[in-house]
Amino acid sequence: MLRFYAGKGGAGKTTCAAAVALALARGGKRTLLVSTDPAHSLGDALEARLSASPRSVRGKLFAAQMDADRALSRWLGARERSLRAIASRGTYLDDEDIDSLFRLSLPGVDELVGLTELRRLSRGFDEVVVDTAPTGHTLRLLAMPATLARLGQVLDDLQAKHRALARSLRGSVRRDAEDALIDELQEEASSLHELLRSAEAQFHWVTLPEELALQETRDGVSALRQSGLRVERLIANRLTPKADGPCSFCLARRAEEARVLERARAIGLPLYGVPEQAREPRGSRDLSAVALALRSPLRSGRIRNRTTPPSVAAPVADQDWLEDVAGAGVRLVFFGGKGGVGKTTAAATAALSIARRGDRVLLLSTDPAHSIGDVLDAAVGDEEREVEPRLWAREPDAARAFERRREKYRTAVEELFAALRGGSSFDAPYDRAVMEDLIELAPPGLDELFALLAVIEALQRYPVVVVDTAPTGHALRLLELVGKAREWVQVLLQIQLKYRRVTGLGELARDLTGTARELRELQQLLVDPRRSRFVAVTRPAALPREETARLLSALRRLRIATPALLVNAITPPGCSRCRRVAAAEQEELRRLRRIRRGCAMLGAPWIAPAPRGGEALARFGRTWTRME
Amino acid sequence: MLIVDRMLLGGIKFVLGKVAAAVDAELNDDSRLREELLAAQMRLELGEITEEELARLEAELLPRLREIRGRQGGEAAQTLESGEYKVVGVEATADFEKE
Repeated sequence: MLRFYAGKGGAGKTTCAAAVALALARGGKRTLLVSTDPAHSLGDALEARLSASPRSVRGKLFAAQMDADRALSRWLGARERSLRAIASRGTYLDDEDIDSLFRLSLPGVDELVGLTELRRLSRGFDEVVVDTAPTGHTLRLLAMPATLARLGQVLDDLQAKHRALARSLRGSVRRDAEDALIDELQEEASSLHELLRSAEAQFHWVTLPEELALQETRDGVSALRQSGLRVERLIANRLTPKADGPCSFCLARRAEEARVLERARAIGLPLYGVPEQAREPRGSRDLSAVALALRSPLRSGRIRNRTTPPSVAAPVADQDWLEDVAGAGVRLVFFGGKGGVGKTTAAATAALSIARRGDRVLLLSTDPAHSIGDVLDAAVGDEEREVEPRLWAREPDAARAFERRREKYRTAVEELFAALRGGSSFDAPYDRAVMEDLIELAPPGLDELFALLAVIEALQRYPVVVVDTAPTGHALRLLELVGKAREWVQVLLQIQLKYRRVTGLGELARDLTGTARELRELQQLLVDPRRSRFVAVTRPAALPREETARLLSALRRLRIATPALLVNAITPPGCSRCRRVAAAEQEELRRLRRIRRGCAMLGAPWIAPAPRGGEALARFGRTWTRME
Repeated sequence: MLIVDRMLLGGIKFVLGKVAAAVDAELNDDSRLREELLAAQMRLELGEITEEELARLEAELLPRLREIRGRQGGEAAQTLESGEYKVVGVEATADFEKE
């Protein structure tokens, strides 16, 4: 059985997956727990050192953190000869061109072999539990069989020309290694497609009892169901336990949770609940408590308590943090961190403060699971919209942008191929098939690519751009993509220049040159600490803290300035349980201070219910303080 | 024999040169120059030339571009009419050093 734990970042997918895997192993099943999130935290949750191949954790439990990059290299390495043969037979590119294309990498391509790798790792296990990446990218991963099938189709078109040539010269065609590769791709695509929809695979959706998470849950569950995948249960994590004394904070949270859970039932899935633990569950003993909670569904009795609580008064500070986040001259601010730490709320709060300071600002989401519209409590879409004076917002639609570009280039690419064919009419039908399928092939990593183009476009029209990024792993990919995309564009420019006498330089060359220049300028902007910066958002808990440490060192490697670290959702003093939680958080804050690498530390309290809409966000912004 | 070969070769070269010049003249509209400019910008993005070299190239190409644009609409450009041509003049001199 293949169990996928999917859901919003930070909801507790890793914790739930680990708890269930541990329980299965205890029950005597040989169990593999594997993470497909590029920002792994499975090792942190299990308190074990993990690698890309399954390692024994305890008893019958094994765990692995997928290294999709390496899996892709291995996969490509074994097939490189055939791929090269097809490329050189089916196109006019020479060995040198194919060489330079093969040397390139594009972030996101690794997801192409993620499922193949998963199946390879699963061999010999009774049960496989998968800890997935946050929603948006998991949906992409699950769409990979379709992409793989299209890729096979493109290769088959390329090969068709070779087959026709062989037939006309020799009178017959022999099946070769290249044909075998194409068959392999197509078989792999259809068997993965079936596996995901068989009784052998099921999905468990993990969420938090919060408004924002609920919206994402609705969208995510319906996306999974629409593609024919079986969603088995809904798990609401970190439910606030009963207060052990009068506590307005706990009351407010429980009232909000009751309201959200009631609406979650309407999704029509068995609902399970995991109460918040006094400290973040780590190691097998903590995880057992989680597994226990997952044994039986939530009784509807848990969903009571609908009294409206008194609002929690928060201390009011002035906004001196704005200088750290977006002082004068700053043009580009990224908000990033682990899923569920409050990136979107923080980014929206900062953008709002910048707008109220008097600057025109665009709040741009680069997380394929957009939620800035939900936080701003306004309809936000692919078109930029002024949500309040000077504050504009946009949630780009990568699929639509790709569609537009595809239409734009369809003619240009066809002309280019016609010219490269050099007037020979022999292979025209094959070329057309290749072109048509190639244009249909949405490349993996598409979300990052178009997010990047959206950032570039925004910088041309707004003095300040605030970017709400996808969770850590994919946010880093976006930043790395700047350099990698530039390499791609340069190779394409080289090929165009090389065949210039034959094909001429058209609109495609002009656009590519423009893109190369924009990428070069963005690269310069990113490493200029006066003009661009990355605000790391975290919570005072172990898993987010460890991911923050990795994020900060990755950003340092990329030479991107991180002037501020925002610690969000700090529990206010209240009942004795709140005080226990607060004490554990103080310990985490001390640890965060040690890893912050010189950035200013900002703190924001946990607000219940979570701030939504301009006024609530403005009030929330006034509660942020510098913690020295 | 050798002399005849050379004369023949020279003649062919001359004719080709003439044809090339005519084609050039025909293509010497602004699109041709714009393409040169684009190629120079592409080379800049590839790091093959520097900003200064690009500026120098632009300083050279842009006036020519303006000149051609000025001429357009005025007298018709000299073009090779289609039809049969008689090739004569093996003895003519031509300077092929330029390109």
